[in-house]
Amino acid sequence: MRFGGLTAVDKLNFNVQKGTIHGLIGPNGAGKTTTFNMISGFYRPTEGEIVLRDESIAGLQMHEVAHRGVVRTFQHSTLFAEMSVLENVLVGTHMEFRPSIWSALSGRDAQQRRGAEAKAQEALDFFGLLGFQHNLAGDLPHGHQRALGMAVALACRPDIMLLDEPFTGMNPEETKHMMKLMGRLRDSGVTVLLVEHDMFAIMGLCDTITCMSFGKFLAEGGPKEIRNHPDVIQAYLGGARHVA
Amino acid sequence: MILIAVALVVLPHGLSFSQQEILVYLVINILLVVSYRLMTLTGEWSLGHVVIMGVGAYTSALLTKRLGFYVPVSMIMGALMAAFVAFLLSFPLFRMKGFYFLIGSFASAEIIRLLWKRFREPFGGPKGLKRIDGLPNIDIGPIHIDFFEPTAYYYFALIVVLVCLWVLWRIEKSLVGLTFHAVHWQDKLAQASGVDVRRYRTLAFVLASGFAGLSGALLAHYIGTINPNSFDVEVMVFVLTWAIVGGTSTFYGPILGCIVLTILNEIVLRELGFEQMRPLIYGAIMIVSILFMPDGLESLVKRALARWKSAPPPPNQPEEAKP
Amino acid sequence: MFDLLAQTVLNACYSASYISLVAVGLVLIFGVMGIVNFAHGELFMVGAYVVVALYSNYDIPYVLVAAIGLVFVGCIGLLMERTMFRPLRDNPLGGLVASIGFLMILQALASITFGVRMAFVPPVTQDVIEFTDKIRLPLQRLYVILAAVGFLTALWLFLTRTRFGWALRASAQDPEAAALQGISITQTAKIAMFIGAALAGVAGVLTAPLISVNPHMGHSVIIAAFIVVIVGGVGSLEGAVVASIAYAFVHTFVTTFFDGVIADITGLLLMLLVLIVKPTGLFGTADRA
Repeated sequence: MRFGGLTAVDKLNFNVQKGTIHGLIGPNGAGKTTTFNMISGFYRPTEGEIVLRDESIAGLQMHEVAHRGVVRTFQHSTLFAEMSVLENVLVGTHMEFRPSIWSALSGRDAQQRRGAEAKAQEALDFFGLLGFQHNLAGDLPHGHQRALGMAVALACRPDIMLLDEPFTGMNPEETKHMMKLMGRLRDSGVTVLLVEHDMFAIMGLCDTITCMSFGKFLAEGGPKEIRNHPDVIQAYLGGARHVA
Repeated sequence: MILIAVALVVLPHGLSFSQQEILVYLVINILLVVSYRLMTLTGEWSLGHVVIMGVGAYTSALLTKRLGFYVPVSMIMGALMAAFVAFLLSFPLFRMKGFYFLIGSFASAEIIRLLWKRFREPFGGPKGLKRIDGLPNIDIGPIHIDFFEPTAYYYFALIVVLVCLWVLWRIEKSLVGLTFHAVHWQDKLAQASGVDVRRYRTLAFVLASGFAGLSGALLAHYIGTINPNSFDVEVMVFVLTWAIVGGTSTFYGPILGCIVLTILNEIVLRELGFEQMRPLIYGAIMIVSILFMPDGLESLVKRALARWKSAPPPPNQPEEAKP
Repeated sequence: MFDLLAQTVLNACYSASYISLVAVGLVLIFGVMGIVNFAHGELFMVGAYVVVALYSNYDIPYVLVAAIGLVFVGCIGLLMERTMFRPLRDNPLGGLVASIGFLMILQALASITFGVRMAFVPPVTQDVIEFTDKIRLPLQRLYVILAAVGFLTALWLFLTRTRFGWALRASAQDPEAAALQGISITQTAKIAMFIGAALAGVAGVLTAPLISVNPHMGHSVIIAAFIVVIVGGVGSLEGAVVASIAYAFVHTFVTTFFDGVIADITGLLLMLLVLIVKPTGLFGTADRA
């Protein structure tokens, strides 16, 4: 991936196994988020391939990628801040319950809406947000907003969830709780790929970790291997402060 | 509810002839401004809405004049044509956003308007179309309805507009409407959730344009004469003012703006004989309301409602779209 | 044929001159304040009416009228900045709407004071430069061209050689960074608004003896200016000048060989094309909208 003359991500190659939690780490500026943006269709890679179940998805638009079961969250609290919590998650049910004008006019959408709301509440319940469903999303505390972002993604019923720094802004309690929920997600068959700085969470959660630095692949392996990998240690000590 | 219904039925009978005419325009304009709001739900502000309305008017007028279409049928054709034109325009226009969309919509609308002006055949050139057929009279036994009467046309327009408003209301409250809002507030997140953002923008634009076209057809068959200047930027400015003075975060906001400003404009100013001062006062109202009431008249209603219920004030409504 | 071509080129130079004066002001205001001033065409109109008020009715020298027009319209610009654009700084749509309101007020004031009919402006000079008997340049048109070149050069010098000009360019490029540098946003907004409005006013003063002066004359000018601003690139002063020349040539030639309405349509199509292909304009880099 190049932006003008800058090569942000170069010769990166990794596989994500179905049903695992896969972490993508690296010092600041390593190109993790850029990688995410390419997979999710937010950027079109200038070169290279992204393959999902033998189908190339590179260059598809974000909603097309979503329809293939890959759904992402965003850094910071990217939410529909002016809509209620329930409405936020209802947008997530968009793919399953294709809204149509005709059903809205004929009144058939009442049933559809009930279905969508049930699904949405299920997703909210999973993240413990059901009690806030009528609040405005923008009024939630920060940790809850992160969880809501994931609830929206979950409501899309993804095969693969791409989580962009899901633990930022959470206190240790919340982090621990969220880790447990992610474990449950994996057990229910969802593949998770996450970018994260919180090494405690990464090490405790991931089955496989890919480490990148300055846009290039550095190392891959289980948490133990990565923790003791000389290149990884070198990269972190040389470049950044987030090492746990 | 019943009270409002009775008021709407009784309303024209206490008014003078010219006031009844204004009432007809008011009803038609309400459809126009509410359809405009549907467009703004996805966050794009257009300056072409009035010309799209004109597409409906011209289409319907030409179909009756040239091809002898039955008026109600031609009105529907006018609406469909307006929607179709919007669909075509969506391809270039939705490559733009915000300010660029605003200017782009203005340019494309102005091109359409200049085409009407340039081509005498079939659009009538600068003088436009005259002697457009009205609604045919209804004569069934003792019932005789003459739609040249403003009161009769008022009832007809009222029924059509109420049906349209109901449709627009249902759309907004449905999951489709929710998706429109989602596209407005966070198009990235909506897209990541599988929403084809461009498709929804187009849908809102096409729907809004269809209803605008219908309002144009309603107007054309009432006043009987249309020309390119009936749909110029100045009229667009009025629509914009209604929407902004009323506020666009609620369904009733633009309606409120349209009614209040029309009453102020037509009744107060015209009766008081400030004919020439009207644009001046309109302009001043625009400036004052954007300066001191950026959330529109609807924000006053909301506050009043909140106090009346003596419940805690409603959550702060978001500020409106900024292109 | 050569005569016609040469004459059309002269006509195009003349329209390019006053359009660029208007457009450059529009770009300056948008660049510094982020506001689309829809009332800019009406500032041009006010400039023309200053001539009607002072030159047609009293026998004040034309040069003095031009100076008064410049200052007067510039002050209207300051008034707009103070009453509307400063309070609405965080609300670009609000600024746009307010400018539309202001446009209506100016139009209404003009028609109340001077009537809606075309106003009479006596010619400043009857002289015509005759290159051949078919290629003619009225002296008044030459004045417009010379004045435009003069004012734009002065603006260029001001922007590149003075401290105020430097501050103005800085805040047009990046308002936040400029504010951090200690450049007062209010100060630069005032200057931009004064200069922008004054340029439009002066364009109106200069063209008043040549075109029909009426309260709605701003309409076609603002459309031309918008086309120029978009084609040249929002926020690019050089782009605005180049695009003015290009647009004036296209418009004048199409008007000469087809007709005025087709020329208007061509201009708008040109703008749409630029919006579709390269929305930042042919010269623009700024993407502040």
